[in-house]
Amino acid sequence: MTHEAQLVVIGSGPGGYTAAFRAADLGLDVILVERYEVIGGVCLNVGCIPSKALLHAAKVIDDAEAMADHGVTFGKPKIDAPKLRDWKNEVVGKLTGGLKLLAKQRKVRVVHGVAKFESDNTLILDNGETIRFEKCIIAAGSQAMMLPNLPDDPRIIDSTGALELDPLPRRLLVVGGGIIGLEMACIYSALGVEVSVVELTDSLMPGTDKDLLRPFLKVVKPRYESIMTGTKVTGMRATVPGIEVSFEGKDAPKIGVYDRVLVAVGRRANGDQLDAEKAGVDVGERGVISVDKQMRTNVPHIFAIGDLVPGPMLAHKASHEAKVAAEVAAGEKSAFDARTIPSVAYTDPEIAWVGVTETEAKAQGIEYDKTQIPWAASGRAVSLGRSEGFTKLLWDKQTERVIGGAIVGPNAGDLIAEIGLAIEMGADAADIGMTIHSHPTLSETVAFAAEAYDGTLTDLYMPKKR
Amino acid sequence: MTQSIDIIVPDLGEFENVEVIEILVSAGDMVEREAGLITLETDKAAMDVPSPENGVIEAISVAVGDSVSTGDVIGKMSLEVSDTVVIAPALLHEPSGDTTVLATPAKPAGESQKTGGVQTLVVPDLGDFDDVEVIEVHISNGDEVDVEDSLVTLETDKAAMDVPAIVGGRIESVLVRVGDKVSEGSSLAIIAARVEATQTIAVAVEKKAEPAPAAAPAVVAAKAQAPPTGAGLPPINEAGFASAHASPSVRKLARELGVDLSQVKGSGAKKRILHNDVKAFVKAILTGKAGAPAGAALPKTPSIDFAKFGDIEIQPLTRIQKISGPRLQASWINLPHVTQHDLADTTELEAKRQELKGPARERGISLTPLAFILKACVAALQEFPKVNSSLSDDGKNLVFKKYIHLGFAADTEQGLMVPVIRNADQKSVYELAQELGELSLAAREGKLKADQLQGASFTISSLGGIGGTAFTPIINAPEVAILGVSRSSMQLVWNGSEFEPRLMLPLSLSYDHRVIDGAAAVRFTTFLGQVLGNVDGLLEGSDA
Repeated sequence: MTHEAQLVVIGSGPGGYTAAFRAADLGLDVILVERYEVIGGVCLNVGCIPSKALLHAAKVIDDAEAMADHGVTFGKPKIDAPKLRDWKNEVVGKLTGGLKLLAKQRKVRVVHGVAKFESDNTLILDNGETIRFEKCIIAAGSQAMMLPNLPDDPRIIDSTGALELDPLPRRLLVVGGGIIGLEMACIYSALGVEVSVVELTDSLMPGTDKDLLRPFLKVVKPRYESIMTGTKVTGMRATVPGIEVSFEGKDAPKIGVYDRVLVAVGRRANGDQLDAEKAGVDVGERGVISVDKQMRTNVPHIFAIGDLVPGPMLAHKASHEAKVAAEVAAGEKSAFDARTIPSVAYTDPEIAWVGVTETEAKAQGIEYDKTQIPWAASGRAVSLGRSEGFTKLLWDKQTERVIGGAIVGPNAGDLIAEIGLAIEMGADAADIGMTIHSHPTLSETVAFAAEAYDGTLTDLYMPKKR
Repeated sequence: MTQSIDIIVPDLGEFENVEVIEILVSAGDMVEREAGLITLETDKAAMDVPSPENGVIEAISVAVGDSVSTGDVIGKMSLEVSDTVVIAPALLHEPSGDTTVLATPAKPAGESQKTGGVQTLVVPDLGDFDDVEVIEVHISNGDEVDVEDSLVTLETDKAAMDVPAIVGGRIESVLVRVGDKVSEGSSLAIIAARVEATQTIAVAVEKKAEPAPAAAPAVVAAKAQAPPTGAGLPPINEAGFASAHASPSVRKLARELGVDLSQVKGSGAKKRILHNDVKAFVKAILTGKAGAPAGAALPKTPSIDFAKFGDIEIQPLTRIQKISGPRLQASWINLPHVTQHDLADTTELEAKRQELKGPARERGISLTPLAFILKACVAALQEFPKVNSSLSDDGKNLVFKKYIHLGFAADTEQGLMVPVIRNADQKSVYELAQELGELSLAAREGKLKADQLQGASFTISSLGGIGGTAFTPIINAPEVAILGVSRSSMQLVWNGSEFEPRLMLPLSLSYDHRVIDGAAAVRFTTFLGQVLGNVDGLLEGSDA
């Protein structure tokens, strides 16, 4: 069978479905190709959404426990893992079902199969069907990387397997101290699992400002069995009692036995899984496809977006790139012009940052000022029993506009949006500080940080700098 | 086997809708690469569209009289493609992308990782400069270059600048030599680019068709039918764009209109660039008024058919009127003019002048009142150097001149001229009078040289010989003041105890209020009056 379309989008994750829908809204005849039965990609099915459902469960458990110190005691929670899994699947089902409906309403044809290029206007699917297209958007995402030479054992899982909670282990080792690994650690720890984390580099969440980790570590260190940074996993052996893992590092034991090992050492772009060279598309190292500001590959009628193009592998980046690609494919003069892409770790406490980090500013020689508000100064944070966090803003010394921000604490991921808007709008301290923030909210801490720079802060005493 | 490709119009630079004036080939013709296929004529030059490849013309789809633009398909040609012989790589311009050319073969193993395709490195936006000379070439064929490595050095009359590589790779061919003149978009070299993960490939770069071995003809045919891939973006200063104070929606508009935000001035709070600023910028460019001040769009005076009201005669403006008119208007529009009027007591001066006039004439010097006024102005300008200054181009600095060159308005048959007496501060009244006479004569005879009309730092317009009591002269910009002199008259002046007849000279000083304030102006005229009242002072240093 041969399909024909003006635009074919390969992959139905947040990049792919956004591109398909936007292009359809602009009048193009669109086919969306998905290799799995359910559309939505990693984000909806085995990423952002299910993990957040489980993180919510984790937070309820932790919050309930924390209230014991303040006069409200619950019984020890009973974890019904299958039921929890069903609920998570229900959440996913609701969203993917909604997505299917959105595709139908727009008359986007969804075709299932693994697509590979045959030429620069033909795709061939693994079921033998072909799709002829005028333009194509490659949105085939990324996949979890595995360590080499691991024993073939069901007790060694990736993030997809970890979301299954099947069954809940007693001791879990998370290999990789990045965002994905730490979110999973957070879920499993709340569900009563003894969690250890091992990270190759000297610090968790490599690349983030170190100060953001301090409040986080204050919370998780006492809860986890161990956090081993600067430690290499040198081997794994499947044994009857568990997976025997050997380490090499200053604070690590030589060997540990875990009944589950989650490998979360990063993700790898899928750009080289598509025979893209048959379409003339240049694929770079590690499956990454280079694009211009309009998301075009070196072949001008073939676009690429999301995890398989340079930049952070984030759903919200993919969906913005998707709109640019769809609009350009439809003849509009769009370009990816975002000045900043926020990053969030949905751990407890959450860590979020946007714009220039201090680490980057120092590396790039950017002249900046910093204002930081400890959440101990926020009535709301204290009344939540969560005053360990802080909000910090970075300012351009010359323009006095906000160029970066970071928040640690509950709901940091939601709070960071305001700073992103401020950066995109070129707001300065007065713009933020003179916008009335509701009291008492955590969002006030953003205003406080701006007031601190503006010299108008009264909620803290700060010795005069300016 | 045979493959057919579209023949497209290469980059025509700034030209669009260029007329086809000749068709040089017809279907069936064998052509070699670079052979002329059709001839186009712009208002500047005629040019041939060369054949992109060796092959046979299948069809030419344009006719004489048609208009074409960059990227238009003008016909089809078939290429002979052999399974074993690889066609020499040709440069094909690919502005709209998908209309080109050969199917892409699988690349030799190992090479696909390294090369990011062949690109042409071109001269970036040079600002206002065109035809800039290449003074150094830093690359030669086969060199490996990295991003930012200097390719060539160009020299304008203001500065030398290096053109950096925008991609890294191996230089296939250097296209310029020392001494060549290049402009924005001129090709410098062909590079086999390395792909780097973070590198973005420039939009619409010239791109080499891959050498094509056996490839499915069906693919090629289908490709030719694909619609254009949407408009590319014009190259802009991305770094400047990225730091412009503009919200996302304004940036989107700017992208759509191809506006480089780094060149747009924001009118919003804290110089934020607003939608209207982007639109105004485009409008200014479209109407050719880019860079003009906001007041450039002045209301027009009504145009009237005078012949309706009686007989008329049309007389063209003189050459000098045509030159001076726009200058006077520019000064009147751009400079905030204020005129300060005053009277100077020249009773003693005139008496003395009458006394010296005769002997001076014997020496061939006409000792006019203007000579004394010039001398007095020198003294006043020395006292008030600001009146002898100019505002810098950017309006941020004052330029003080250490010389005093005085212009004086001369009425000639051809129109108003302003000869200049250089270094008036080093000259006596007699010397000034003599030069005044010589320059006035030369002006009337139309024999002034260019340098006798340049360099004035202050100008005097004396209408006293004719009449008048006061007027408002227009400043000879970029000077900041002009002194108008009207006819002196006997007036009764109260000297403290009685009215006394005095010969009063009306002075009218127009000044640029951005530089000189009212108090300074009146101090200047007052001082000037005092100097004119002290004739002995004016004659100091004179040998008479």
